[in-house]
Amino acid sequence: MKYYSPQTVAEALELLAVYKGQARLIAGGTDLLLDLKSGKYHIEALIDTAKIHELCQIEQEGDCLVIGGGTTHTQICKNDLIRRYAASLAEGCHAVGSLQIRNVATLAGNLVNAQPAADGAMGLAVLDPEIVVLSQRVERRLKMDQIYAGFGKSAIDNTQEIITQIRLPISKDNVASAFIRLELRKALALPMLNAAAAVGIKNDYVRWAKIAMGPVGVGPTRACEAEKFLEGKQFTEENIHKASQLALAQANPRSNPLRGSREYRMETLPAVVMDCLYAVQSRLEH
Amino acid sequence: MQEHTDILRFIINGREIYTQAPHDMMLSDFLRDQLFLTGTKKGCGKGECGACTVIVNGDAVNSCMILLGKVNGAIIETIEGLEKDGKLHPLQESFVQKGAVQCGFCTPGMIMSAKALLDRNDNPSKEEIREALGGNICRCTGYVKIEQAVEAAVEEIRKNAGKETKDE
Repeated sequence: MKYYSPQTVAEALELLAVYKGQARLIAGGTDLLLDLKSGKYHIEALIDTAKIHELCQIEQEGDCLVIGGGTTHTQICKNDLIRRYAASLAEGCHAVGSLQIRNVATLAGNLVNAQPAADGAMGLAVLDPEIVVLSQRVERRLKMDQIYAGFGKSAIDNTQEIITQIRLPISKDNVASAFIRLELRKALALPMLNAAAAVGIKNDYVRWAKIAMGPVGVGPTRACEAEKFLEGKQFTEENIHKASQLALAQANPRSNPLRGSREYRMETLPAVVMDCLYAVQSRLEH
Repeated sequence: MQEHTDILRFIINGREIYTQAPHDMMLSDFLRDQLFLTGTKKGCGKGECGACTVIVNGDAVNSCMILLGKVNGAIIETIEGLEKDGKLHPLQESFVQKGAVQCGFCTPGMIMSAKALLDRNDNPSKEEIREALGGNICRCTGYVKIEQAVEAAVEEIRKNAGKETKDE
């Protein structure tokens, strides 16, 4: 298998085009290499994005936070801008795998791997991100729900496309976010359940709420009924409690021998969502 | 642009190494089979145990999940590089003294994860030590002595540098 380390996005896309679907992008490689070792794919070449400098920046552009598609989970969770404006993302990325994995693995790779409880993706899902995907032909700008093509399947084709940026709006309003994880271990274990929430408050009333949870469906799943319930209401203990129960309406978890049965997950999901909303509440300005 | 036939170059434990090994070879295999640096262990081959931990450009990584092409030009440290002129590194010394080694299989990875932490943070909290070692699994010791060994090494390193530790 051939290995290339291009210096620019254009070079990377050119190489992918030359190989006509028989080459894949490798970022950290912590998911891809497992798939290659297990024989899930057979490819002729790997195109490494780690040396593409333009993908490794985290910057503020006006009222937008721009995260390069090559940034690692470690870079993201340690970044001051992310910790200030995107707490759920910092926490989600911090929960991925282990420190060794976070040092090489990327948020973009986490998104493209398309797992329903991917921690980085979960933390991102409630921040209204725009994911910029470039191929030789076109640039697409995708919302979070557009990057999944099915269970464990990405709508991004990494034999042809590259995530160049993840863009987040920065709000000047009273906004806070949080990420939470129910887990058997603090590292090296997939979550039993995880959830993220972001809430915008004005004059003590919820202007908007975004709640995502997993693994209860394809990708981070929005608790739409809970979100709608909270809109226009005060962000009180009672309303948080009611909203957490409503999260079950969009939840459809499977049973997993290590990570919890469906029944267990349905019982504990409201508690996980509630803890997440309380964490958000504690971070809002009062 | 780096292509797959190019000669690879690393600095491994302070030595400059050139190789024509394939770019899609795992770093752990290169270290063990080509350089005979067998201190780095292969526990799972999946990035799930940390026994293969080495330091690349200051970061602890699982060498069983790193392809050679990815680390071309990198500064790499393995457990073999800690000893200097016959003297053990304070981490190695404290692991031995504190009884943090039983079968020893996790030990090189544990020490490299700890070293990566201490190289950047010379006075880590217990929580920071636990986070740094979170990706390293031990089946024998129950982790307590390992944590104590890292704390003892911190004290030793700071004493050698003439600094006070958190408790003093």
